Amino acid sequence: MEPTLLKPAYLDYLRRHGHAPKTVFAFADAQGITEGEFYRHYASFAVIDRELWADFGREAREQAAQEPAWQGYGAREKLLAFYYTLLEILKNNRSFALLTLGRSQQRQPSLVPKVLSQFEADFKDFMAGLLHEGRTTGEVASRPFLQDGYGRIFMRQLQFILLYFVRDESANFERTDAAVEKAVTLSFDLVGRNTFDSALDFGRFLLHKRS
Amino acid sequence: MSDQPQESLPTSKVARAARFAKTGFKVGANYVQHYAKRAVGADSPTADLHQANAAELYGTLSEMKGSVLKVAQMLAMEKNLLPPAYAEQFRQAQYQTPPLSGPLVVKAFRDAFGHSPSEIFDEFEPQARQAASIGQVHFARKLGKELAVKVQYPGVGASIQSDIAMVKPVALRIMGLREETLRPYLAEVEARLLEETDYKLELRRGQAVAAKCGHLPHLQFPTYYPALSAARILTMDWLPGQHLQEFQATNPSQAVRNQLGQALWDFYQYQLRELRQLHADPHPGNFLFSTTNGGTVGVLDFGCVKDVPPLEQQQFLSLLDPATLANPDQLASLLTEAGVLRPTDAPALREMYLRTLTQSLELVGRPFREDTFDFGDPAYLKSLYALGDDLLQDQELRQQREPRGSAHFVYLNRTYVGLFSLLTELGAVVRTQYTA
Repeated sequence: MEPTLLKPAYLDYLRRHGHAPKTVFAFADAQGITEGEFYRHYASFAVIDRELWADFGREAREQAAQEPAWQGYGAREKLLAFYYTLLEILKNNRSFALLTLGRSQQRQPSLVPKVLSQFEADFKDFMAGLLHEGRTTGEVASRPFLQDGYGRIFMRQLQFILLYFVRDESANFERTDAAVEKAVTLSFDLVGRNTFDSALDFGRFLLHKRS
Repeated sequence: MSDQPQESLPTSKVARAARFAKTGFKVGANYVQHYAKRAVGADSPTADLHQANAAELYGTLSEMKGSVLKVAQMLAMEKNLLPPAYAEQFRQAQYQTPPLSGPLVVKAFRDAFGHSPSEIFDEFEPQARQAASIGQVHFARKLGKELAVKVQYPGVGASIQSDIAMVKPVALRIMGLREETLRPYLAEVEARLLEETDYKLELRRGQAVAAKCGHLPHLQFPTYYPALSAARILTMDWLPGQHLQEFQATNPSQAVRNQLGQALWDFYQYQLRELRQLHADPHPGNFLFSTTNGGTVGVLDFGCVKDVPPLEQQQFLSLLDPATLANPDQLASLLTEAGVLRPTDAPALREMYLRTLTQSLELVGRPFREDTFDFGDPAYLKSLYALGDDLLQDQELRQQREPRGSAHFVYLNRTYVGLFSLLTELGAVVRTQYTA
């Protein structure tokens, strides 16, 4: 059996039954492979969960970039396009999202769910690229020291949006769309040149005068 | 305030409620200042106070787009319900709401058609040309045709009820209205708002009204394209013309303005008398004015259409009939029929109602009683608003705890006050007699 087919088979099982297969043996057997063969590809079901999330993220980035308007987008719009595409994908896989996120939320609600580790690492790279691009276009203000923390802000935003989606009960998850719109606008207002920079500049000016 | 882009948008219901609470406090502070100034003998007229409160309230409302804004607009239309200073602030809301981002517009299209706008149209401008109250309008081109594509904000329908529930106590307290005054109004507003979020309904209505009113002179209706429309997307022809204020800035001639006013007047007369169905949202944003053929009005936005039941239509028309006003007995029996007067009313109360209503009818029905009416005289609209203010201030009337008459009259009233105010801004002289 091709390892590429194990993932969809596992996802299918998870969505149908609402839980992972009881044992790796049972799952492998149903796929017509031995348990040993399964471990050659994945160490556990949790690893597949993580890879599935990472796949969603990659698909979202690729699909969003195919949109003809993408080339004309600034960093803010690219991030929005990514989120909306991701939410489209997640809508078709909501059962999986609820299962995996819900599970880790119960166990350790304040921590980053481990199932997202690969997904979030990819997002971090993507975001770093966007922020770099934003700095060259002037959408993002250059602030030595402080700007190192931007990645964390956007990571929290990603988590906020995922949790909002998980809890959203509006038809077609329209409230999540609105939440994305507002959250991204706010975050780019924060990292863009704003009152803070002018205040800093002013403060620096005053200090220089005195010396 | 009005030309600044809106930045932070409060997301959750709690955050929005918090903003309302904040306004409540600020308005409270304005009152304190008002009375403090009075106490030390400074001149602080009530008009100033209203102005300050209105600015606060508007500042808050403008940060919350969607249905709150819409409610504000509708209240603004009903100037009779609001002190003028509030109404003026709310009217500003008509042209500004924060735009949807490009990706969200793309997503709305993918949701509806499975394709992005650039695949559906030959040309699609990602920047919105105009804001509509619950969405925005994009310019597009397909097969050489210029199109207007209206895209709705996500989640508007879901938030209407909670928004109205939030607006209500604030409106009651800040505007000094009684709950009974506001309740039927808000109920109607809510029903219309929910209808307005349904673009499919709007499309059907737009097509129907255009088919029925297409023969009226100097009016222009857009063609709607069902294949390019969905629940949250509406595609129609891009009509030429400008909004009222911009159009007025070009100094159109009196003849043009008269023709435009006449077209509007005939349109509403025809709807009320023949169709028993009203385009019930005559605020300036819904009409486009141009000098084509000596003055043409483009009619947009059929989101708010009011069906008028035959009985109410007859009552309303009889009330406007000059013969009714001249004959107090006939007026009294008509008002009893409409449920405004009740047989159980004490004579003094009955007398009071009759007196106020005769006064209102004389004023509201005035254009209907003359052959031509000059709306260019601002004194008329002013006295109309003044009457509304007087009624609000009238102690006897305020003590009546229950509203009278049909809730349908609320919309008829709003429609005609809206129409009158449009005609006044146009400064049009209109032949008001109806000829079938």
